[in-house]
Amino acid sequence: MNAPDDVRSMLVESATRLLNDQVDQKMLDAAKDDGWSARLWHALEEAELPRVGIPEEAGGAGGTLSDLAAVLRVAGRFAAPVPLAETAMLSGWMLASAGLPVPRGPLAAGPAGDEVVRTRRDGRRWLVSGTLARVPWARVAARLVLLAQADQGAVVVSVDPARCAIRPGRNLATEPRDGVLLDNVVAEAAAPATNVTRSALRLRGALARALLTAGALERTLELAVRYAQERVQFGRRIGQFQAIQQELARFAGEVAAAVAAALSAAGAMERGSDVTLAVASAKIRTAEAAREGALIAHQVHGAIGVTSEYLLHHSTLRLWAWREEYGNEAEWATTLGGIIQKRGADAFWPAITTT
Amino acid sequence: MLFENVDFSALELPAPALKLREEVREFLKAEVAAGSFTPHLGHTEFDAEFTRKVASRGWIGMTWPRRYGGQERSYLERFVVTEEMLAAAAPCAAHWFGDRQTGPSLLRYGSEQLKQKYLPAIARGECYFALGMSEPNAGSDLASVKTRAERVAGGWRVTGQKVWTSWAHKAHAFFVLCRTAPDSGDRHEGLSQLIVELDAPGITVRPIRFLNGRHHFNEVFLDNVFVPEDRVVGEIGQGWKQVTSELALERSGPERYMTTFPLLVELIRRLGKAPDARAQEAVGRLTARLWTLRRMSLAIALTLDPGPDGERGAARATVDLATEAALVKDMGTFFEREIVDAARLLAAVEPTPDATDTFERYLAETIVSAPIATIRGGTTQVLRTLIARRLLGPLK
Ligand SMILES: Cc1cc2nc3c(=O)[nH]c(=O)nc-3n(C[C@H](O)[C@H](O)[C@H](O)COP(=O)(O)OP(=O)(O)OC[C@H]3O[C@@H](n4cnc5c(N)ncnc54)[C@H](O)[C@@H]3O)c2cc1C
Repeated sequence: MNAPDDVRSMLVESATRLLNDQVDQKMLDAAKDDGWSARLWHALEEAELPRVGIPEEAGGAGGTLSDLAAVLRVAGRFAAPVPLAETAMLSGWMLASAGLPVPRGPLAAGPAGDEVVRTRRDGRRWLVSGTLARVPWARVAARLVLLAQADQGAVVVSVDPARCAIRPGRNLATEPRDGVLLDNVVAEAAAPATNVTRSALRLRGALARALLTAGALERTLELAVRYAQERVQFGRRIGQFQAIQQELARFAGEVAAAVAAALSAAGAMERGSDVTLAVASAKIRTAEAAREGALIAHQVHGAIGVTSEYLLHHSTLRLWAWREEYGNEAEWATTLGGIIQKRGADAFWPAITTT
Repeated sequence: MLFENVDFSALELPAPALKLREEVREFLKAEVAAGSFTPHLGHTEFDAEFTRKVASRGWIGMTWPRRYGGQERSYLERFVVTEEMLAAAAPCAAHWFGDRQTGPSLLRYGSEQLKQKYLPAIARGECYFALGMSEPNAGSDLASVKTRAERVAGGWRVTGQKVWTSWAHKAHAFFVLCRTAPDSGDRHEGLSQLIVELDAPGITVRPIRFLNGRHHFNEVFLDNVFVPEDRVVGEIGQGWKQVTSELALERSGPERYMTTFPLLVELIRRLGKAPDARAQEAVGRLTARLWTLRRMSLAIALTLDPGPDGERGAARATVDLATEAALVKDMGTFFEREIVDAARLLAAVEPTPDATDTFERYLAETIVSAPIATIRGGTTQVLRTLIARRLLGPLK
């Protein structure tokens, strides 16, 4: 294979090794109380992983969006309880696009939904106001990077969460999803948002969730296969029963589709070819796979799978949370279908074949 | 675990394939404009004249070496031709078996003489092949075929019965999987592949009507048919290995998820520019599935491509994507049905086979053919068993 692929596979290898060493059940259980793992974050930061895909000029580690995508898939596989996607894929991108340096530390991004953040100049400072619901990782972030509206146009602002009122919340997997109230908070940095738009941010958010979902599905399949190899009932490994085999095969198809869709969408975004079609497809397909896959994984495990002692729930709870974040499959399908219909029947096949 | 070493994000069609796509689209547009064929769904039609036109463009056997009539083009270029033909519902039955199965088998296992004899003729669109695997008592359990070949001076005498043989009534020859040695305990031993010409004395082809009365497949009786020695494909006794190793590429191509695609296009047309949210959602979901399946299918084509340095035509033997290919077929065939159901539920028309409206006719054609895709080329259940075995490894 050619050079960039080699770099990518090395990156994947080192991310896998690091997460495999660091993340264990104890860490995941502790993260339920703490909201995240500071220790894991520091290890990742030391390996420069939260800076992949961010240009070196902005203080990043360089690399492409597809490199970052490959890392996020691994993070999803290990259920890494840290804002890796938010830092590298969302906030880092917002700052770098606006020509701002990317600070160290975990970053959160917003708005994820349709809330409006306002900002206005006050001398040399920018003051930021607004109310945001369910901001991923706000309470553990060093900075909140927000797309705000000023009279002059859209502005990327970076604020210190310590200056905001934070109402802790969580998603199904107890990852922080916090309410944030900004009342004339002084921005630490601000610059006009050139390429950063609401829809671009939403697409990136959806892509990030698709990638994490693909990885988490891989883990649930690994667990289900291992369990089917080990568990004995009626004197046989349950994997010897054709009913279990049929479910596992269907599961494998869903997982393969999720991986194919999520990584393909990253490539499409990197090349800028029909990004909405690609990302919408990836979010829809991964969310569908999450629904099918999580339930098959649990079915194969029987009762042990639905306990908080067993590893599986760390992945399945995330799957159920992530499929709703940045738009679920019905929302994206309606959007995508609307676009397809508007373009008309004769534009459909050409669109499918551009990516 | 699956698609290892496949880089989906980097997967892109190279420039020659994109250029070729434009050529194929223009060709098909001109054919449709000239009324040279009427698109039908369900079963691809057999149209020797159309096949010869495709051949004259160099699009049959296009990955094969030039010395056998091929064009030495990449698998991805072949992929593009195939998907364009399917998108247009073009009548490709005359050459599809030859292009997809016979050709690659001969390239990999055939003697020089067999390659010379058949490949250029297939590529010219003049020689059509059928596939004689299934028998009345050997369906999914293919190793239980009973058709027997006995050695005689200068070749073999073959006796038995094949069934479901698509287009045997129009093809020149077929690949016959048969027993050349008695079952010695290991059922996979003693099987061989022979090429039998369908006009040979002792062959009887009888139609089996599809449930709508159409004639696509047949039963073929072989009564002491003489087959010259040089028609043996590969080695005597290696038939099982040969048959099963052919399947990866053949299982994952666009024909496994696109046979009802033109119905989806007509559905989009019928729904108009601004349908309700329910219709939009259905179209969006189908789009996501199609887009994803296509990426998986492309990945397999690209990975198996032997590349310009390798011998064109036969897939890279070192990569095993049989499981991935089975997954694509399994999901693809279900996707094809989802299109039919979406079309049916959103349009709410009573299907009529002789409707003048294209959407309505496609709907009728795909409803009656909906069961076949999950049966032929490996049933859903058999594929899933195969996939699960690979996932689980040996269990005892
Ligand atoms: C339209 C069409 C065209 C065809 N064209 C050709 C052709 O050109 N040449 C050719 O040789 N054949 C052809 N076939 C035959 C096709 O390959 C067979 O139908 C297929 O292999 C299945 O065999 P069967 O129909 O005997 O079903 P069976 O094998 O009898 O299966 C019946 C049911 O039992 C299930 N089953 C069987 N074994 C198992 C198992 N181990 N575990 C779980 N479930 C199992 C199957 O999944 C299926 O649901 C064609 C078939 C169709 C429908």
